[in-house]
Amino acid sequence: MWSLLSQAQFFTILSPTAKLLLARLFLFLSVLALSAARAESGGDGSSYQLGRGLAVGDTGIRFGGYASVEAGAPSPGPWEFSVSDLSLFTTWTDHAHWRFFSETEVGEALTAGGNQGLSTRNAHFELERLYIDRLFDDLFSLRFGKFLTPVGRWNLLHASPLTWTTTRPVATYDLFSKHATGLMLHGGFPVLDRRMDYAFYADLTEELDPYRSADPFNNALGSHWLYSAADNLELGLSYVNYQLHDDPSHRFNLVGVEGAWFYRRFEFNTEWVYRNGGLQGLYQGFVQGVAPLVSHWYAIGRYEYFDQVQQPAGQLGVFGLAFRPVPPLVWKVEYRIGTHNEISAPDGLYGSFAVLF
Amino acid sequence: MRRLLLVLVLASWQALPWAEESIAVVVAAGSRLDKLSLDTAKLIFKRKSMVDAYGDRWIPVNLPPAHPLRRIFSLAVFDTLPEDMEEYWNEQYFQGINPPEVLSSEEAVLRFVAATPAAIGYVRSAQADARVKILLLVRSAADLGEPP
Repeated sequence: MWSLLSQAQFFTILSPTAKLLLARLFLFLSVLALSAARAESGGDGSSYQLGRGLAVGDTGIRFGGYASVEAGAPSPGPWEFSVSDLSLFTTWTDHAHWRFFSETEVGEALTAGGNQGLSTRNAHFELERLYIDRLFDDLFSLRFGKFLTPVGRWNLLHASPLTWTTTRPVATYDLFSKHATGLMLHGGFPVLDRRMDYAFYADLTEELDPYRSADPFNNALGSHWLYSAADNLELGLSYVNYQLHDDPSHRFNLVGVEGAWFYRRFEFNTEWVYRNGGLQGLYQGFVQGVAPLVSHWYAIGRYEYFDQVQQPAGQLGVFGLAFRPVPPLVWKVEYRIGTHNEISAPDGLYGSFAVLF
Repeated sequence: MRRLLLVLVLASWQALPWAEESIAVVVAAGSRLDKLSLDTAKLIFKRKSMVDAYGDRWIPVNLPPAHPLRRIFSLAVFDTLPEDMEEYWNEQYFQGINPPEVLSSEEAVLRFVAATPAAIGYVRSAQADARVKILLLVRSAADLGEPP
C-alpha cells in the first residue's frame, strides 16, 4: 500500500536536486491544469489549444501530444513513481489525399521507487507510430508505416488522458503485439444506415522501426471490423494470424470481440480475445463500467479474466475514481485486487495524472 | 431530452427567432454536388467522411462553440451540444484527426466556402446567397418537434 510511511520515505530519500526537479514537474503540471481550466471548450481552434495542439499556420502541420505521471504501490513490492509518458504528435496533411502522423515518446523519463531515488536512468525513446495515409475515397485508404494493432478499442485509444484507469487490462496487450509495421487498407461504408469501419493489415518488416517495440510481430495478417450500431453503441470484431519475434516456433490465431456503449456520461466497455496456436488456447477479457458522480467525478469498476501460460487463470477487480475537470485532463486513483495475478497485474493502489496538450 | 436542450439553448441565448429558420448546409456555387443526406453531413462534420463523391477532400468549417447557430446545428445533427463532443475529439486527436476549423461568423463561412473547393459549412438559410449552393436544409426547430 501507498502508506503514509512509504510516502515519508519517498520524500526522505530524494536528493535536493531531485526534490527541485519534482517541484518543477508539479509546478509544470499545475500550470497545465490551470491552462486546461481556462481552455475554451468546443473542440476547435486554429492556433494552440490545450488538447488540440499547435497548428503551424496554413502549412497543414500540427504539433501536440500528451503527458502522464503515475505512482503505484503494488503488493508485495516497492512503490514506484514515473513520468511514464511524454509523447509528441506530429501531423501533416496536404488537405487533399495525403496525411502523415507520428508519435514519438520518451518513456519513463523520470522514475523513482523503493529505495531508489529520482532518476532518469530508465528513460528511453520509442517510436510509437509513424505512418502516412493515402486517401482514395471514404471506402479505401492505404496506410504505410508503424501503427497500433487494431485489436479492440483500448489498444487504439490507450493514451492515459483517454482511459479511465491508470492500469491497463491484461487482455489489451498480453497476447499480441501492440504495434504492427507494414501496410493497412482501411475505410468505411454504410450498412443498414449505419457505418461499418474496417481495416486489413499486414506486418511485414521491423526495418522501419529502429526502436523496436516490446514483443513485436515477426509477421502478421489481420483484420478489424467496427460497426456503429447506434450513435452510442459500437460493436467490433478482430482477427489476426501472426508469429511473434520472441517466439518464432509458433504461429498464432487470435480472435477478438469488443463492445462500447455510452449513455449520457455512463459508459460500458468490454473486450475479449481468444488465442490458439501455442501450447494451449488462452482466453482473456474484461468488462468495465463508468458512472458519473458529482461534478466532474466518475466511479469506475472493472472485472478482468486472463488465462496464463504457466499459471492458473487470473482474475482481477479494479475499483477507481477519476476526476476530469476538463476533457484533456484527468486525475485517476484505483485499487486493484485479484487472484493469480502476482506477475501480470499485482494487487495495489495506483494513481496518475494525464493531460493532452 | 433534445427538446429540453434546445429550449435551454434558445432561452439562454435569447435566439428564439433562429429556431424558426432552417439551417442551410452549403458548398461553393460551382460545386458539382447537388444534395447531401443528413447522415452524410453528420459523418463529414465528425471527420468520418473525408472525401466527397468526386474524390475531393472535404474541408468542413464550424462556427464557434458558443455561437447560437452552432449549438442548434449540433443538437439537430448530432443530438448533443458542442462541449459534449470533447471526448470524441480527444479520441480523434489521438488518431491524428482534428475537428473542423472554426470561422467567426456566417459571413466568414460564406466567404470561405465560396472561395474554397470542397469546403462545406452551414448558415441560416436566409443568409445563403448566390455565392454558395445549398446541399441540405436542416429544419432546426421543426425537425426537433419544437413549436415555433
